[in-house]
Amino acid sequence: MNDQNNIFTAELVKVTKAFSRSGNETIAVNNVSFRVCARELVLLLGPSGSGKTTLLTLLAGLQKPTSGDVFIFGKKVQDYSPGELQRLRASSMGFIFQTFCLLENLNVLDNVTLVMKFAGTPGKSARNHAVECLERFGVGHLRDEFPGKLSQGEKQRVAVARAIANGARLILADEPTGSLATEQGMAIIEFLHESVTNDGLSVVIASHDERIMKYADRVYRLRDGFLL
Amino acid sequence: MYALKTLSRQYLRFIITSIGIALCLILMLFLLAIYHGVADASVRYVRESKADVWVLQRHAANLLRGTSILTNRHGELIKKVNGIKSIAPILFFTATVNLPGTTASVHLVGYDPLTGIGGPPEILKGDTLRDNDQIVLDNSFAAKYRIKVGDIFIIRDDTLTVAGLSGGTNLFVIQFAFITLEKARELLGFPGILSCYQIIVEPGLNPVTVAGQIRAVSPDLAVFDKATFLNNNIHEAETGVMPLLYIVALIGAIVLTALLSLILSVYVLEQQRDYAIMKALGAPSAFIPVIIIQQSLILAGSGMTIALLMFGPMLKAVGRFSPTISAQTSVNQILTVASGLLIISLLSSILPLVRQRHIYPIEVFK
Repeated sequence: MNDQNNIFTAELVKVTKAFSRSGNETIAVNNVSFRVCARELVLLLGPSGSGKTTLLTLLAGLQKPTSGDVFIFGKKVQDYSPGELQRLRASSMGFIFQTFCLLENLNVLDNVTLVMKFAGTPGKSARNHAVECLERFGVGHLRDEFPGKLSQGEKQRVAVARAIANGARLILADEPTGSLATEQGMAIIEFLHESVTNDGLSVVIASHDERIMKYADRVYRLRDGFLL
Repeated sequence: MYALKTLSRQYLRFIITSIGIALCLILMLFLLAIYHGVADASVRYVRESKADVWVLQRHAANLLRGTSILTNRHGELIKKVNGIKSIAPILFFTATVNLPGTTASVHLVGYDPLTGIGGPPEILKGDTLRDNDQIVLDNSFAAKYRIKVGDIFIIRDDTLTVAGLSGGTNLFVIQFAFITLEKARELLGFPGILSCYQIIVEPGLNPVTVAGQIRAVSPDLAVFDKATFLNNNIHEAETGVMPLLYIVALIGAIVLTALLSLILSVYVLEQQRDYAIMKALGAPSAFIPVIIIQQSLILAGSGMTIALLMFGPMLKAVGRFSPTISAQTSVNQILTVASGLLIISLLSSILPLVRQRHIYPIEVFK
């Protein structure tokens, strides 16, 4: 636990998120408060439909809360303009999705380079750094391959390389072990854990997989939108 | 470039789309070429005439659509005007001719071969007229019906020998054929009749002034200096059925816009997930719109390249298949179509651009 310095990478204060569909209101997250500090791996643990993915999207600034406050890097999410949130996601956040979500029309190197371009890194240095990141995760030799030709494990490594390539301070991972065999699934968590330790990142993982608990600095259990 | 990479990943569709665009562009280029070719050919006879002043019956203003009947008496009056170097009576009328297995129409021009005024603007093969039993045919007409110099040509029971083939005498819907004035009157059966006078003024005199003097002595005549008469004919050529070609070209442009818009929308739908990922990863707001516009410009550019490569050979093939089609292309026309294509590319991007706005990054988390 590192919140002794009050350096919160992200914080949710009494956040409720409700969705209205066909006149029916569904509350996905109900009065939830938690914080994510620097150099910390936070696990949002809960079954499907418990609201953990909604929390990730709130932390990413992709949605605004119905009530309560979401702070990202010390600033209330409502106070960011759409452009500022876009730049924030491009330069300070990394994402790992359940199915990895690599861009099928781009090769491995371009997948990683593109995110750095979003962050404003010039072309050549973006490519050089992308190669370094891929090599760090043992997939440098696959730089010219398209995602369709990669195994799930290889995709996983490319996804992690992409998430950290832009120098992200906060990594948000949605069910990162969901599409993988047990061994591979734990490998990705180990990568993320190393990043917390070595690179000083904050990592938030949304998962139903209790095996991740041993890597987490903080675990929040969710059920039906409530923090237990 | 992401746009090029996505297009080239499905190269077969890319090629088919480019060819579709190219065909629309060829249609537009072809219609414009016909428009300008016909408009030019329709007035070439007047433009290249040696005459400084044209005299027609009152109310007749051009050669293309208008009837003018004059007599030798008018010529006697005109000759009294000072400053006229020579005056040539010309007789125009349309005649049906019998050809092996078919019939065709020609616009006969009867003129005096001794002065040459009112004769064909250009002889491409053979010679000009030397006697009454000869005819000069339009080159494209001769090509269409496979008539050669020296062949026998029958008009209204009269047998004429083809003396030569002329250029600049194709009006698209009909072609000029030249015979002597004497033979023309004989064929028509009215010895003293003519359609107009073509007049050459003395060197140094202003044709406008001379035209005014003729008008003064014969108020019942329509008298035009060459420039005015040429403009009358150009106006007539451009306001007849010709604008229909522009309308068809416009329809082609609308079809092309719809086609391109549809294709781009399909690309957006197919890449919906990729675009949602990009938005989630922090793509700048202009990034995806730029991709769509780039895709549109790449498709348009490749279509234009194919169109330009195919247009020249196609134009030649059409000319060989149907020699009477006058088509005239120019750099200006190509630039006009290219500019139109640029506008089409941007217009056809609008719908896909609107569509991509409704792709939300949160979709990636579902």
